[in-house]
Amino acid sequence: MSLKDVISPFNAWKRAFEKPDTIVKPMSDREGAPNYRGFHINDIEKCIGCGSCEEICQNAAIDLVEVASCQAKPGDSGLRPLIDYGRCCWCALCVDICPTGSLGMSNDYTWISEDPEDYRFVPGVDDKKWNGADKGYRRQEEAWLVEPEREHMPEKTPEDRKNDFDEYAMGFSDEQAEAEAGRCLECGICIQACPTHMDVPKYISEIKNKDLDEGLRIMFETNPMLEACGRICTAKCEDVCAVGHSGKPIAIRSLKRYIGDKTYRKKDEIMDLEPVEQTGKKVGIIGGGPAGLTAAFYLRRLGHSVTIYEQHDKLGGMLKWGIPDYRLPADVLQREIDFILRQNVEVKYNTKIGKDISFEQLHKDNDAVFIGVGAQIGSDMPITGMDTEGVYSGVEFLEKVAKGERPYVGKEAVIVGGGNTAMDATRSSIRLGAEVKVVYRRSEKEMPANREEIREAKEEGAELMILTTPSKIEKLPSGRLKIECLKMELGEPDSSGRRRPVPKEGSEFYIEADVCIMAVGQKVEPEFSETIGLKVTKWGTFEVHSDTLKSDEKVYAGGDCQTGPDDAIRAVAAGKKAAYFIDKQFKG
Amino acid sequence: MEEMIERIKLKFNAKDINRQKATLVFFSVEKKDLEACVLYMKEFEGYSNLTMISATDWIETGTFGLTYHLHNYKNRTDVGIKTYIDRKNPSMVSINTLWAGARVFERELKEMFGIDFPGCPRVDDPFALEGWDNLPPMRKDFDTVKYSEETYFPRPGRSTKDNVTQMEEKLYAVEAEVKKGIAKTVRKNK
Repeated sequence: MSLKDVISPFNAWKRAFEKPDTIVKPMSDREGAPNYRGFHINDIEKCIGCGSCEEICQNAAIDLVEVASCQAKPGDSGLRPLIDYGRCCWCALCVDICPTGSLGMSNDYTWISEDPEDYRFVPGVDDKKWNGADKGYRRQEEAWLVEPEREHMPEKTPEDRKNDFDEYAMGFSDEQAEAEAGRCLECGICIQACPTHMDVPKYISEIKNKDLDEGLRIMFETNPMLEACGRICTAKCEDVCAVGHSGKPIAIRSLKRYIGDKTYRKKDEIMDLEPVEQTGKKVGIIGGGPAGLTAAFYLRRLGHSVTIYEQHDKLGGMLKWGIPDYRLPADVLQREIDFILRQNVEVKYNTKIGKDISFEQLHKDNDAVFIGVGAQIGSDMPITGMDTEGVYSGVEFLEKVAKGERPYVGKEAVIVGGGNTAMDATRSSIRLGAEVKVVYRRSEKEMPANREEIREAKEEGAELMILTTPSKIEKLPSGRLKIECLKMELGEPDSSGRRRPVPKEGSEFYIEADVCIMAVGQKVEPEFSETIGLKVTKWGTFEVHSDTLKSDEKVYAGGDCQTGPDDAIRAVAAGKKAAYFIDKQFKG
Repeated sequence: MEEMIERIKLKFNAKDINRQKATLVFFSVEKKDLEACVLYMKEFEGYSNLTMISATDWIETGTFGLTYHLHNYKNRTDVGIKTYIDRKNPSMVSINTLWAGARVFERELKEMFGIDFPGCPRVDDPFALEGWDNLPPMRKDFDTVKYSEETYFPRPGRSTKDNVTQMEEKLYAVEAEVKKGIAKTVRKNK
């Protein structure tokens, strides 16, 4: 050791009486940079508790916890992220992945507490001085870790598709499906929105793994009508998709269709359904639509004998008779039904209950009965001239189209209504050569039809006449129809939350058309409900126990005949539910 | 700066020239030319300061990217000289004789990426990690989560909820029961 080594520590003493460079507390004047990554902030109204932040955190610093101020609701789990600052490394991956953009970071980084537990808190819920800070790090548009644009399924141009009933959407290629699946965060917020609660993230994950066989098996756990749903589902899952908050939602329906399209040739082999022990119990199913077919499939898997009573010569219900071929080709539906029938489901075609066989007989012959007859009768409007020749109901018209008939639409057709049936009638009429006006009493954003149906109908040339209602229909000497219409305005919201349309005084005007198709709602065939004598609601639908779909001792009802006109996926969910509770009843 | 870029193109076959701003340029050279290139930049182009040496793990292409950041005090410009080395047997010539400060960076890279710099003094001594007995932690194939699960104990009383299960319990308990009951009917070995 040299002398210098001994002396040098004392060198520091020369600054003993200088003013120190350190900063005196409180350090309020040492603000972080404007984009500093400090303590987190979270807009809890915007946050949906999807858990993407928890999933991506490399330090496992984030837990999703229940908080008193947020409740679970559709599209929101009600959970909020709790961050442990003993683990957080301030990397901001949680901010960069956040699909709603609710999570951010303030530029506040100085905070002292004696209690280590204080450093675990729920940003935005627990009261902190940086809550509401406008400075700090936020997710940058270009740094979002999710691709905001969805893959676009190739489809025929409006000009090309409006002349025939061929399917116009071609399905995803492998590359497109994998790219689209790659956008999914697999958060699972969508599962609740699906009426049959399909495991969307699981089957999307199998597309990423290139294991479509497993994807098919996952879908079959909740939905045996996946090929039809992959084309025509109303995709409520996409409405709540987390990615949809800042970009385009994942094309979940198209991915479902992709798995269906790639696996249908080997469905029996992939599913490899084992024979089940037969219970000897018999279930009669009235109506071979999505509800009845789903119930039949699962009841067979539970070992019960099933007979479907179908009034038409083909199965499929509204999927067959209500949805035109260009949306759901008949052979796709048929191959899906055939798979269900291969599970030894007996079908009595052209058999109407109350005419060909009495309900009492059915009730006596079976251990349980499931009613899934749908809402097949088009509702009338209370106006004069409904019985004029040339005025059809939407369902009646679509059934003719589905049967391969080409009903007369003339040169100009008027469609009344704003739901999917109205859009199907519109687009079918265009394909039959008519120019179409759609008359709807509310505004476009209140139309219950799927947005893409409305968009595509307009692309094909349909003219929307919103805030308009027909008030009288007459036949002109020329054979054409003269339709008196009224202009409407929107008043107070009604029970459905939509604003009630009110006619404007003296706003009558007239349009002429060759035919008028009424698609203003559907109802359960009243003669049928009278025949079987079950309790009905004031809307004419069957009244059942809301949890079990049970109507009386051994009768269950579900689908449109219980909910009123709705989509296929709700009918599938009802069929599945009925199968479960019928089985439960048998097992006691 | 343009002239300098032309010279290094000629002398060292510099590629991927990325002029990020007026005072900053990145380029890459072959591994064998790197030492000569930094020496040239130091002695003849005035880049007398070694700001740092950084590394990137390009696991997809099986290489490590090394970037030598140099600064010129006279004209206040920076260059980043990149080179790529094999990931399987990562070794790079040491430049500690050009800048003594390079020892610190090289020792750090040895520890964090496992890149060897033969001849660099104390290159094998621990830098920031003590008693590390795992893959170098900055490598892409180092599993951070697995490491911390094995090394640290979980905090007592910590719990998390799954958003899907939460929504099942709160919003559709009956349907969730149905789903569970029905799902197994289509599976083998139920």
